[in-house]
Amino acid sequence: MTRRLPLSLNRFTLRNRHRNLAGIGAAVIALALVGTACSPVEPAGNNSGSGGDSSSGTQAPAGQDVFGEPADASQVKQGGTLTVALSADPDKLDPTLSRSLYSRYVFHTMCEKLYDLGSDAKVVPQLATALPTISSDGLSMTIPLKQGVKFADGTTFDSNAVKISLNRDLTLAGSARKSELGPITSIETPDPKTVVIKLSKPFAPLTAALADRSGMVLSPAAVAKLGANFSNAPVCVGPFKFASRVAQNSIKVVKDPQYYDAAKVHLDAIEYRIITDSSIRSANLKSGDAQVADSLSTQDTPALQKDDTVTVLQSQSLGYQGLTINIGNSNGVGNPLKSLGTPLAKDPRVRQALALSIDREALVKSLFGGLNTVACSPISPKSEFTSDAAQVCPAHDPAKAKQLLADAGVSTPYKVEMVTSNNPDSLRLAQALQGMVKEGGFDLVIKPVEYAALLDQQDRGDFELLQLGWSGRVDPDANIFNFIGTTGSQNVSGYSSPEVDKLLTDARQSTDQAQRVKLYGDVVTKLQQDDPIIYMYRQRNLTGVSKKVLGIQVYPDGVIRTAFAGFAK
Amino acid sequence: MRRYLLNRLWQSLVTLVLATIVVFVGVRALPGDPALALAGEDRDPESLRAIRQQYGLDQSWLVQFWQFVSHAARGDLGQSIRTGAPVRSMILSALPVTIELSVLAILIAAVIGVGAGVVAAVRRGGPAEWAANALALLGLSVPHFWLGLMAILYLSVALGLFPASGFVPFFTNPVDNLHHLILPALILGTGLAAVIMRQTRSSMLDALSADYIRTAEAKGLPPKAVIGKHALRNSLIVVVTIVGLQLGALISGAVVTERIFALPGFGKLTVDAVFQRDYPVIQAVVLVTATAYIVINLLVDLLYSVIDPRIRVRGEA
Repeated sequence: MTRRLPLSLNRFTLRNRHRNLAGIGAAVIALALVGTACSPVEPAGNNSGSGGDSSSGTQAPAGQDVFGEPADASQVKQGGTLTVALSADPDKLDPTLSRSLYSRYVFHTMCEKLYDLGSDAKVVPQLATALPTISSDGLSMTIPLKQGVKFADGTTFDSNAVKISLNRDLTLAGSARKSELGPITSIETPDPKTVVIKLSKPFAPLTAALADRSGMVLSPAAVAKLGANFSNAPVCVGPFKFASRVAQNSIKVVKDPQYYDAAKVHLDAIEYRIITDSSIRSANLKSGDAQVADSLSTQDTPALQKDDTVTVLQSQSLGYQGLTINIGNSNGVGNPLKSLGTPLAKDPRVRQALALSIDREALVKSLFGGLNTVACSPISPKSEFTSDAAQVCPAHDPAKAKQLLADAGVSTPYKVEMVTSNNPDSLRLAQALQGMVKEGGFDLVIKPVEYAALLDQQDRGDFELLQLGWSGRVDPDANIFNFIGTTGSQNVSGYSSPEVDKLLTDARQSTDQAQRVKLYGDVVTKLQQDDPIIYMYRQRNLTGVSKKVLGIQVYPDGVIRTAFAGFAK
Repeated sequence: MRRYLLNRLWQSLVTLVLATIVVFVGVRALPGDPALALAGEDRDPESLRAIRQQYGLDQSWLVQFWQFVSHAARGDLGQSIRTGAPVRSMILSALPVTIELSVLAILIAAVIGVGAGVVAAVRRGGPAEWAANALALLGLSVPHFWLGLMAILYLSVALGLFPASGFVPFFTNPVDNLHHLILPALILGTGLAAVIMRQTRSSMLDALSADYIRTAEAKGLPPKAVIGKHALRNSLIVVVTIVGLQLGALISGAVVTERIFALPGFGKLTVDAVFQRDYPVIQAVVLVTATAYIVINLLVDLLYSVIDPRIRVRGEA
């Protein structure tokens, strides 16, 4: 019997194919894997900010904050596993080393802090019993601690644990907390329920830092056992404790019976499932496979608002989206400044012209359905440090922009290259800007790059204009100093102004709230003259929540509060 | 035989070394700094320096390469820059998911592909063949991403038949495991089903016109036996070979499918590592993939040479 193989596939050719595969297969696969980095796929974790755009609960008027309500114990069932669809994979689950917003969602359920943030964006005690007492010279901060609190491993929470955690933040190699803790000289523990922090200079942003990851207290026993590998099995004080993690896919926490307020915890477990595509996150929410989804896209939000089974929570973020102009970053951040020599870098009038060409109102309405809000400064109107001066917004005025360009001796259309992330939302924004600034005399050329490459170009100073945002922090210092202070670690613009530096240093060292408000107002006035960053809009934190779940809350810091939620009876 | 074996082993080793070098250099040639990608918003020069130091990124490429290779040779694939988890355990937990997904996809593709192929060949020229061809064309041309999205929208969201995401290990709950994997496997199998269908149809047409079929028919065998026992059986040999050759396509398809359905598999692990510039993870997954490919090909070649000595002779020539 003759066995005929069609398509010229006889054993010899098959064998040769195998030989070829053996010879080049691995290399080709290797190249293909590397090649995926160049494909225009939405990068995981490229949402630099705290949220997407917005919309709110099904009944909420557009633009109104909906933080969610605490659960009424009589209306929720005990038990169950809540699934939260997260838009990006958190990084290390170690409060000292963590650097992503997303890790804060998980920490919220398992690592309580000395202080927390209320819905009004004000700092409130959490593991502390009261706000800190600050000495008259501003160099000593006394924090009273809760008693009868245990870590998830059963060891006792006390001032020594706080001291060990803070010292770790200050000394561990690669600590992401060191700079936000400021000029701490020592930490004293006069008794188990009191911590005294000593400073070399007054540092007003410290309380806000203790309401974030710097204020999380780690179990000293777990730290001694795991050291820098703490993230593999983190142990803190919290309603839930770490159970398991599947790399780049999911994180599970389970109810901690040792928690001091365990009676308020209704769920058995929470699973954070990483789903980077916003449409698929929404689909999971609708199908019931997830009960909470973060960072909803403005495109998906209207449909979710009409869905009877879903509520959309929204809160205005403390961050901003803006355009950074390269003024003097020619050699990379931290190196000596040198102007690029272009009119945009040299002449503030050209930068002002660009700022005046942007119609923020139209941008927010047309691109985000009115869900985001206009921003002209790094200080959110929700911040307790806001003022009239901090919220001044120059009107859209393309005619004046053209005039300024003419005064600066620039011929129009003035060509400017803008580097932006290659994800669909960023590209839509870039195209809208391109059309808008044309009227003001600018020819915007869009250069989309992958997110990791964008960060690289930004730090190296390899850009003329760049679009990126900041998720925001409670204290304005953390939203301004690093970005425009001459020595700021993220001053990618290469901006340097002795006047602004002095205002920021005074504000950082002042313990007088009214004085700080005034100083930040002055900073904004000066920034609107120099325009190293053109602030455009403020995102809303948009979170979808199934109506089967009660007690999910999202405050302006963008963190989804799930710890005391429960399934509806 | 020994000379042939040594020759093939040597070739495999060279391939592995080349693949390792290509990946090592390729990953570092990509724009983007892993320290920056990790530091994200909270970056400052001091912590960037510390990250680079901790992961040896401040060393020369040569030193980094030597460290990677020497550690890998001892079975230590390092730690993820992003999460700090051991890469070895990350790979060990991801591999079974992708293997199970791929096996299921092959099974589904084989059932659909062979079934449609046989129908198309037997009912040549009729609406059945037209439908099977249209289906194959659709399977080949529609991207996995779109199909996955549609499947989630209609089968998960609208009808609630399958979960839209998540994974339950087989030994935890086999029923739940299959319930979670069937939809992704179906999507992953569409391309392969189309290839199998076309191949089966073509082989069947060849077989059906062969002399032994005519003999079988002349002997009065019922059509079911002629098609099933004689024609299909002979046609399947080629189909099986094709399935083997399509494994690479399956793995690349799994990358997309795993991302859509949030499956903790090897493909998702790889792509996310590339986006995050997690060098140790990228290097390790490529090393594991390359080794798997090389070992499989080596075994296939050796098997061929055992079955047919002419291959061995040609290989030695």
